[in-house]
Amino acid sequence: MNPMDLTGRRYLVTGASSGIGRETAILLSELGAEVTVSGRNLDRLQQTLGELSGAGHQVAAFDLAALDEIPGWMKGLAVDRPFDGLVHSAGLHAMTPARSISAAKIDALMRTNFSAAAMLARGFSQKSCRRDTGGSIVFLSSVVAQAGQPAVSLYSATKAALTGLAKSLAVELARDLIRVNCVAPGIVKSEMSDQMRESLAPEQFDAIERMHPLGLGSGRDVAHAIAFLLAATGRWITGTTLIVDGGYLAQ
Amino acid sequence: MTRKEFLVQFDELLELPTGTLTGIEKLEDLEDWDSLAMISFMGMVDEHCQIKLSPRQFVNCETVNDLLDLTKLPAV
Repeated sequence: MNPMDLTGRRYLVTGASSGIGRETAILLSELGAEVTVSGRNLDRLQQTLGELSGAGHQVAAFDLAALDEIPGWMKGLAVDRPFDGLVHSAGLHAMTPARSISAAKIDALMRTNFSAAAMLARGFSQKSCRRDTGGSIVFLSSVVAQAGQPAVSLYSATKAALTGLAKSLAVELARDLIRVNCVAPGIVKSEMSDQMRESLAPEQFDAIERMHPLGLGSGRDVAHAIAFLLAATGRWITGTTLIVDGGYLAQ
Repeated sequence: MTRKEFLVQFDELLELPTGTLTGIEKLEDLEDWDSLAMISFMGMVDEHCQIKLSPRQFVNCETVNDLLDLTKLPAV
């Protein structure tokens, strides 16, 4: 028996149109799960859908900025069959040196990275959204939530907020057998890292790459850790942050 | 937004009194023009002009006017 088998389970993955979210959706489907892929762009979600293995998958285009609508939206998605868990991979990255911090930037980054996570957790905790046998929630934190870097203070703060959110939710929701964890990746090759490469000088990006002893990761590297937390392999793990960073934080 | 209005934002970014920069200043003479200021400048251009700049585009910029050319903003 494969302890990471997800046959018969159903998961919601946000940010599934690119990067880690897309890789996670694909991996979960390969492990046997039915996946609801969410993001803002329907065309790109359809592309992800086309890459999934097996059947029973669903596309759910939604803008998570509509925070108050999240629990109702999730209830609608779960009306036929409840979820076994969710992965919040939708995220916004921005370079914000201290002198360029503004209320609008704080709000935008917090809304997508943190506030949406909290509302998704609230949505999942609704009895009609999840199976009686429990569930597993995974938030995408980041290595910069644990070790600072210049120009990413706001992004770091939103990702650090997720680790606090996960811990208290883990304690509160344990009675319903809902586990809540974070995965903290280093930099993986993705649209987000391409965007970062564009906004830095080549030598600055090279320096960041060198900070990963195993080199930059792939979305699949992080997806494996997420699947581990969702599957039976994670049954006794809650309130923690699994670092998946090619050795970035080992130094 | 016009170049003139953008210059005021640029003054603020470099902590200069409003109206200091006129455009002819050499970047190498600006004390606070460093890599973080560059990232902030790129953020300003993205926010106000919806243009995503790359640091490669800065290589040949010598003056504030050269930077403003990247914004494609009208003079007035």
